[in-house]
Amino acid sequence: MKKMKLFLGPQHPGMHGNASVHLYVDGDIIKKSYLLPGMLHRGFEKQMERKLWVNNIALIPRVCVPEPDINEMSFAMAAEKLLELKVPERAHWIRMIMLEFARISAHLMAYGGLGGPTGVYTLMYHAQADRNRILEIFEKISGARVYHQYIVIGGVRKNLPKGIEEDITTLIDDLESRLDEYRDLGIDNASIVKRIKDTIMLPEEVVWDLGVTGIGMRSATNKPYDVRKVTPYARYDQVEFEVPVSDYSDARARLDIKLKEVQQSINIIRQSLKKMPEGPVRVKPGRGQSMRWTVPKGYVYAPVESSRGEFGYYMVSNGGTTPWRVGVRGASYPQGLLGIEKYLPGTRIDDAALWVDTMGVCSPEMDR
Amino acid sequence: MTNSTNNIEAVDTIIENSQVTPLLRDEIDQYQVAYEIQKGDIHTTLSLLKNAGWIQLSYLSAIDWPEENKMELIYILFNWEQPVYVQIRSKIDRRKPEVPSIIQIFPGAKYYEREAHEFFGIDFPGNPDFDKQLILENWDDIPPLRKDFDPSSYSKKKFPSRTYPDQFSKKDPDNKTREKQTEREKRANKLRTGGGKR
Repeated sequence: MKKMKLFLGPQHPGMHGNASVHLYVDGDIIKKSYLLPGMLHRGFEKQMERKLWVNNIALIPRVCVPEPDINEMSFAMAAEKLLELKVPERAHWIRMIMLEFARISAHLMAYGGLGGPTGVYTLMYHAQADRNRILEIFEKISGARVYHQYIVIGGVRKNLPKGIEEDITTLIDDLESRLDEYRDLGIDNASIVKRIKDTIMLPEEVVWDLGVTGIGMRSATNKPYDVRKVTPYARYDQVEFEVPVSDYSDARARLDIKLKEVQQSINIIRQSLKKMPEGPVRVKPGRGQSMRWTVPKGYVYAPVESSRGEFGYYMVSNGGTTPWRVGVRGASYPQGLLGIEKYLPGTRIDDAALWVDTMGVCSPEMDR
Repeated sequence: MTNSTNNIEAVDTIIENSQVTPLLRDEIDQYQVAYEIQKGDIHTTLSLLKNAGWIQLSYLSAIDWPEENKMELIYILFNWEQPVYVQIRSKIDRRKPEVPSIIQIFPGAKYYEREAHEFFGIDFPGNPDFDKQLILENWDDIPPLRKDFDPSSYSKKKFPSRTYPDQFSKKDPDNKTREKQTEREKRANKLRTGGGKR
């Protein structure tokens, strides 16, 4: 059969964000493939060097579109490490609530994304509707739905609004009761189970070869390697949660872990609401006007656990009013670029979109 | 998982028992330690650490120091069993930046090195594709993350500002609307400032 070149993306229902996968196919088997990034490159790392510490807070959430809070957390953590700043106790707990809600919303979006390539659109609509309810909570807390700019250097921007605890409790109770429904609609749905079971494998040696983190690594290696457990930040060492794992990584196992992680995030939010003390939520990182804030010299790496794996900012300060260098370690860098080049060949064309979806590839954080 | 202070000591022991002499050691917090080493020691240090369990390459990039005329390479390794992030830094000459590739040790470094080449102009002999274009399409200037690259002058050069004719409407060749508008603005300004009377 004649060999052909096909494009998956940049505009494709199965492709998240504006990246394009070039596929060389023989019949319907992919023989060679590579990712073409760069369509979403906005020069963030250069822009951050030119902006003041306080101005950067408006820029950083844009690095990863579906899950912006991890950027804020990582940036704030890196600057706080350099400043040796002690964040108020209540701010830690509020940050955790925000981060866990962000994780749930990113997982729901990714899990609903399964509906696109497999044709179960009901799942997508349900997931998006529930995600929308989380965005409403975000709006009540921070005033914005997607880019919150809520976690800032020294704490959070403002205290939680009155009565938000009830809203949060209602929402997480409701979400928890619907998780079985999600399972039935998605990974246990007989009409798509053949597409996701025993396909799109991720063996353990591939994980170490690529350097995949997050759900990909936990599903293949059966080890609870989670940044929140291994090197706890905020107050993750004071809450009880499990890290779901499995020893057989097909698409179904990875989606299953996503749903289990939603349950764990709900547990964390519930504990945070109980354990959260009263008190101030922010300390000023510097004296005087915010335009003149400086951060001491130093090099620091601040990792957090995103929905796709280890995400972190590498920050170098020269003691000035702007960062000297900010590097972003995107969680989907290994599987998105090297993974697509090395391990996508061999699968069928219609599984390519599913491969990209279940491996957790977020193109904005690869381009920056 | 053992105590975190012991983990940093474990890294120290690995470095001490090798021929590598670190130029600088910096303990950032209980989970992070940094070493600055010579350019020639990069391969030895990274393979030693990988064999000791630091199997994950978390990040690879560079930093530009134009005042010292140096480029700084940065490798961050992580061990999930003994959770310590190890930063390995090394300064190289800025005029002809070149570092042997580490893809034999960490295959995942392939694209990080391509990115570092694109944004800093560092060569990585040993990586077959290091000079292929990745993110920037048809880039025709110095690498953009170097400090001497100025984005605003580049964009002015690349996209020169256009001049528009005063006569901006075919329906109104004498520019009557413009006159009316300026008059209205003047009147409004007069009202706002109290008509010049004080």
